[in-house]
Amino acid sequence: MARAVTTQRKLVYTIAAWSVALLIFFPVLWTILTSFKTETSAVANPPELLSADWTLENYAEVWGRTDYPRFFLNSVIISVGSTLLGLLIAIPAAWSMAFVPSNKTKDLLMWMLSTKMMPAAAVLIPMYLIFQRTGLFDTRTGLVLALMLMNLPVIIWMLYTYFKEIPGEILEAARMDGASLRDEVLYILTPMAIPGIASTMLLNIILAWNEAFWTITLTTTKAAPLSAFIASFSAPQGLFYAKLSAASTMAIAPILILGWFSQKQLVRGLTFGAVK
Amino acid sequence: MDRPNPLFRNLSSKLASAPMVLIVLCVFVGGTLWTILFSFTNIKILPIFTPSEWVNGFVGFANYERLFNTDRWMNCPAITKIGTEAWKFKCAGAMPNMVTFALLAITISMTLGFLLAVMMDQKIRLEGVFRTIYLYPFALSFIVTGHVWAWIMSPEYGLQAAVRKLGWESFSFGWIADRDMVMYAIVIAGIWQGTGFVMALMLAGLRGIDEDIWKAARVDGIPAWRTYLQIVLPMMKPVLVTTFVIVASGAVRVYDLVVAMTDGGPGIASDVPTRYVYTNFSANLGQSLSASTVMLVTMAFILIPWIRLEFGKKEQGH
Repeated sequence: MARAVTTQRKLVYTIAAWSVALLIFFPVLWTILTSFKTETSAVANPPELLSADWTLENYAEVWGRTDYPRFFLNSVIISVGSTLLGLLIAIPAAWSMAFVPSNKTKDLLMWMLSTKMMPAAAVLIPMYLIFQRTGLFDTRTGLVLALMLMNLPVIIWMLYTYFKEIPGEILEAARMDGASLRDEVLYILTPMAIPGIASTMLLNIILAWNEAFWTITLTTTKAAPLSAFIASFSAPQGLFYAKLSAASTMAIAPILILGWFSQKQLVRGLTFGAVK
Repeated sequence: MDRPNPLFRNLSSKLASAPMVLIVLCVFVGGTLWTILFSFTNIKILPIFTPSEWVNGFVGFANYERLFNTDRWMNCPAITKIGTEAWKFKCAGAMPNMVTFALLAITISMTLGFLLAVMMDQKIRLEGVFRTIYLYPFALSFIVTGHVWAWIMSPEYGLQAAVRKLGWESFSFGWIADRDMVMYAIVIAGIWQGTGFVMALMLAGLRGIDEDIWKAARVDGIPAWRTYLQIVLPMMKPVLVTTFVIVASGAVRVYDLVVAMTDGGPGIASDVPTRYVYTNFSANLGQSLSASTVMLVTMAFILIPWIRLEFGKKEQGH
């Protein structure tokens, strides 16, 4: 930006930006630090930023004594599964909206996006009913399906914004050279759209990983992922803050790390394509 | 256009989007309609949709009447006293809680988000890093981070205990256990979660403003803050509206924040509509359905103007 910014003012802004960043990151940092403390040191007053005796015991205990590994596995299966299934439906749909638009395409997009904004509670009861009757309740298959359904509008929207950036002429040229429709989508479009598909995947895995409403309402124990596991530590009391922090750290670490190494995709995904 | 086989192409494009359209129709439209329709009946156990069941069970607005007479949903005794001395603006229950949360969280996170975006717009180094850190709260599971917030605002183990230990004995921040303050505790966490997101969208909006506007404003000697407030902000209207709709839709269906921080407590002081629907539907199906419908209507009031705005804009672009 061509705004006149003096060095002095820039320093002030930089300090302010760091302070805000620290403030925003503090709760997360605190969780991570606490996960390495003993239970007594975790609730010490005055609080100890760094504990005198570091320990990995909390992790060992959470991993060994609870069903944590099963919850973790459920989370992985549900988020990856729903993402892949969603892409399977979304890629053709986004292709058709981006490259063969009709006069209904814009309506369809708006309509689809607005479903994502509707309160999920509005479809809770019919969903619950169908899940109970069909035996999908508290199964991984059921959750994969449910989360795919809920995130499908966002996946399609994201893919659409990425596909829009691919010049249609390239596809046109391939078609002129005799590529069939299948070849066109599979060998021309998909490779070119890999970055877009990858960041859509990242976004959807994050959304599915964090999903709490459907995972809490549609599971009891068998298929419950991490979010349900952590939620079961409801109203935490001082006795097991360190263990809760260890479980929490394990639950957010994949997202923190994945997000850090794909910052651009993370930002674009989380803002639904608004930030390029 | 000379496309080989345009008919085939159009047909395949229809086929390609068919699964998506079907899903949206069945799940979202179908499920929503089912909820709305059966909210007018007195069904007690979960039925599969049959028209006869609907006709036999039709009770009109009875569920809504019961819902709004339930203190857990809405308890506003003072409303009848508007205009008199006894009037006090204080409502309890899931619906007023959501309204309080939405109003405060939307206003504050949008204001802070805009200020942060303006700050980030000053060519700060490592902008990408800051943007990522500011967005982290939005990317992390609130079930997880909610526990930290509950901890910070718990009277025994949180900030209150720490500050009192330092000597400020009357410091009070144990909001999680305080009926009157618990919704504000949730608002703070909500702002923490949403501000980075608002910032990212607003920053994108700021970057979309033509550089010449800034040059012109500088030539005219308009101070930067006035340029932001009186020229840039009005130009960002589409971004503001979209941000508002996304943040508002999140606020209307707020759930995981409440579950992680208070689970609706103390008592039911921080209950919200989504939680109400879920915790009530086995015992009070009719009320749950009408509560869902009230949420839908609330959201429709926010969404419909937005769709018309977005839609109208795109039509002009043709």
